[in-house]
Amino acid sequence: MEHYLLLFISAALVSNVVLMRFLGLCSFMGVTTRVDTALGMGASTTFCITISAMIDWAVDRYLLAPYDLGYLRTVAFILVIAAAVQFTEAVVRKVSPTMFQLLGIYLPLITTNCAVLGVNLLLVEGKMNFIESTVFALASSLGYSLVMVLFAGLRERLALAQVPRLFAGPPIGFITASLLALAFMGFSGMSTN
Amino acid sequence: MESPVSSSFPGADESDLVEGFARVVAVEGGRVWLEPEQTKSCGTCASAGLCSIGKDLGEAKRLEARRFQLPGNLGLRVGERVVVGVREDTLVKGAMTAFGLPLLTLLIGGITGQEWGQSDGMAALGAASGLVLGLAIARVLANIFTARGILTPRFLRRAHELPQEAECHPEHG
Repeated sequence: MEHYLLLFISAALVSNVVLMRFLGLCSFMGVTTRVDTALGMGASTTFCITISAMIDWAVDRYLLAPYDLGYLRTVAFILVIAAAVQFTEAVVRKVSPTMFQLLGIYLPLITTNCAVLGVNLLLVEGKMNFIESTVFALASSLGYSLVMVLFAGLRERLALAQVPRLFAGPPIGFITASLLALAFMGFSGMSTN
Repeated sequence: MESPVSSSFPGADESDLVEGFARVVAVEGGRVWLEPEQTKSCGTCASAGLCSIGKDLGEAKRLEARRFQLPGNLGLRVGERVVVGVREDTLVKGAMTAFGLPLLTLLIGGITGQEWGQSDGMAALGAASGLVLGLAIARVLANIFTARGILTPRFLRRAHELPQEAECHPEHG
């Protein structure tokens, strides 16, 4: 159990998918103007990354690796991600049409989010077993959601702050993101080996 | 024209609400059908012109699927833009129920399968069973929330009207 906990902390904080691996930067800057939007996007992305990671692990283990089709990995994974997003959309609509009204808006954005593909490719590189892959994908996506919500909170406060005109908007956003990345570098002092 | 029904969130002022715009698409038997306006979540992205998100492709169909009903005679006409809102904690509750709970049961099922069967197949079976169980519980919870009206957006005001707390202060110039 300790092994899973260390893997979780490592994936969520030490090797954060946004601030350490620089994946999902489009949504990081585009969907973090409000905390509620960031939260909805983070929750939807977490679900899709975990589901697609489980399927991608099976596709790679039982289809691509045995037949030496590694060169098709990226294409196959993109296909699985698109299917996982459609599956999630159908599930949320079935579970509750009202929830679909609240959360359905974020789902189409996930298909083009490079963090989803990035996490799935990292799983293959890590040569993990099924449960390690699932824990890694869940932790990575929770780390993504955490950073999204933190950054959205900071940007909401920045919107009310007096910022020099040249820095207003995205420039001060990027400076804040770099400071947040520096803060997350502090986690790299935690040994997870 | 004064609206006969205003915000109906007991114990919540408008600063606790997540607001959004919607357009009245039909009025049937005193009930109003609204279609949420598409928000351009990734409009600021530099590659927005290259990707299909935010374009009209399938957008109309998607918006149609997200139509919702407001109860009561609100005195609204077809084509009017209104501001609707949900409580801030509604989004958290919705996300936790729809996504958080199934993921938690998935993880518990997967780890239990791995520890019990010591194989990837058992872990996958446990995770899939956990996911199905989580989705079933989420569905029950969502039905309870819907029956209590917790997830339903509420009418706040017409789009051109100012919020109630936005008063004019002549002393500030």
